[in-house]
Amino acid sequence: MAISAAAQAPYRAPRTADGKPDLNGIWQTTTTANWDIQAHGAAAGPVFSLAADFAVPPGPGIVEGNEIPYLPAMLDKRKQNLANRFKDDPEIKCYLPGVPRATYMPYPFQIIQGQKNILISYEYANAVRNVDMGKPGPAPVDSWMGWSIGHWEGETLVIDVTGLNDKTWFDRSGNFHSDALHVTERYTMRGPDVMMYEATIEDPKTFSRAWKVSVPLYRHVEKNAQLLEFKCVEFAEELLYGGLRKKGTGPNAVK
Amino acid sequence: MSNRLFEIASAIALVSVAVVSALAQSQSKSAAPSAALFAKEGAGKAAASRTPEGVPDLSGFYTTSTTVPFERPKDLGAKEFFTPEEAAAYAKRSLAAKAPTGPGTYADVHYDMAQFGLEKDQNKVSTSIRTSIVTGPEGRVPPVLPAARQRQAAKQAVNRGHEFDGPENRGLAEQCIYWNGAPPMTAGGYNSNIQISQGKGYVAITSEMIHETRIIPTDNSAHLPATVKMMIGDGRGHWDGDTLVIDTTNFSDRSSFRGSDENLHVVERLSRADAGTLKYEFTVTDPTVWEKSWSGEMPIAKIDGPLFEYACTEGNYGMRNNLSGARADEAKGIKPNGRAALGE
Repeated sequence: MAISAAAQAPYRAPRTADGKPDLNGIWQTTTTANWDIQAHGAAAGPVFSLAADFAVPPGPGIVEGNEIPYLPAMLDKRKQNLANRFKDDPEIKCYLPGVPRATYMPYPFQIIQGQKNILISYEYANAVRNVDMGKPGPAPVDSWMGWSIGHWEGETLVIDVTGLNDKTWFDRSGNFHSDALHVTERYTMRGPDVMMYEATIEDPKTFSRAWKVSVPLYRHVEKNAQLLEFKCVEFAEELLYGGLRKKGTGPNAVK
Repeated sequence: MSNRLFEIASAIALVSVAVVSALAQSQSKSAAPSAALFAKEGAGKAAASRTPEGVPDLSGFYTTSTTVPFERPKDLGAKEFFTPEEAAAYAKRSLAAKAPTGPGTYADVHYDMAQFGLEKDQNKVSTSIRTSIVTGPEGRVPPVLPAARQRQAAKQAVNRGHEFDGPENRGLAEQCIYWNGAPPMTAGGYNSNIQISQGKGYVAITSEMIHETRIIPTDNSAHLPATVKMMIGDGRGHWDGDTLVIDTTNFSDRSSFRGSDENLHVVERLSRADAGTLKYEFTVTDPTVWEKSWSGEMPIAKIDGPLFEYACTEGNYGMRNNLSGARADEAKGIKPNGRAALGE
């Protein structure tokens, strides 16, 4: 009985020098949520000549209860997004991914935890968030990555994210939101190298109720783990500007 | 109309994205140079406040903007330092200097910098008794070796006549691929705001311009294999007393700094000079470009922050307009060189 009770007790994370749970590290999800946050089977990739390489990996989804409570009037937009995903997905254009999507993309991100601020730096597109641990007031302007204000609740880092624009998606399947999006994130260590990530999504213009995604994040324990440069802008130039290219010229090989 | 002017006009989209940010920053800043900065270097070195881990706390918001010219003006000869009075007068002149606004100038074809809070005297800048950021008797970057000059010319020649063919023929900044996030840190034409963050064993330096972040481990670990090149390089740091020393290699030859190529090696030293200022020193080596190493030093001033999001490619109308303008010119039988776009 004692053993079982101990197993259920919340994990107490190692502390930073100022006594807070230590979330420093390089983290990444192993879920396939970036393809579709809901449960989905495997599917062929968009380019047949690329065969198995770019096929869609299946996944059980990260949405609590699996249902995304779209308002009825929003369902058409969701369908359009899905149909147009190979030109409209912000990711395909190398645009900033927004929150919570940045967390479960198939790229690592690094938490640099200070007392006054926590920097979250994402490998994808140099996306970055400064989490202010004080009281900076409301978002001065809407942005792609939003305005993040953090505080500690015991073992959990809670980040209130507002000031998000309406241009980012939740995944490659066209799940979307409006500029009324409010995300409450909770980061909680559940072992030395595993952190649970939960995001509560509220957006009364798009959804009939609040809903939640939940993703485990794993620490990169490789000795040589580091974020490398993933400047994807140039990978997207042909998609964005190819139609404006001088006739008879082609994109240079990516150097 | 000069080519230079057109290059500036081409960057309109980039500038526009920054306007909100620069305006917001300027509102909270005092323009007056801090008198403390005229003190003789090294004097008044403040005891650094420390992070909970016990290393100096350099975190906060700063600007690399300064009244100190990168290279020493030729008329100052070998004079490396001003007197405090001369320095104050030079800083005042530098801040008062405005871009011309007559017909055909930047302000005329685009906008008045002051209107958007982008003039130096509307923003926080550092000042110094130094007559140039580049140190030493010459105060200038050594000449580029002839072989390096030839390589640079050959590179430019490839693009000549093709400047408007496609997106990759435009500059890296106009493409929103790279601004000036690589070391050594120097000011751009506007918006030189940075943020330093610190966590256990790491220092991160984020540039507001196109949101580039250098993440520097402070364990002095080995650099990446030479096959991995990055535009902002691979930085490794360690604490030398109260000074953060950053050693950066693995540069891509595409993010050239004053003619440097992939053999660039930059060593930086960053420490607190006083509560509102960091002391920044750097040494640049690239044996295939310059026959000797050269160094620089400048104060970096604290600002209120925050950094704003400089989403760049997301609003890059300039690229679209330049390319579609060039195609329209071609359809009319005009060689696209920018003149038509500016109404000549």
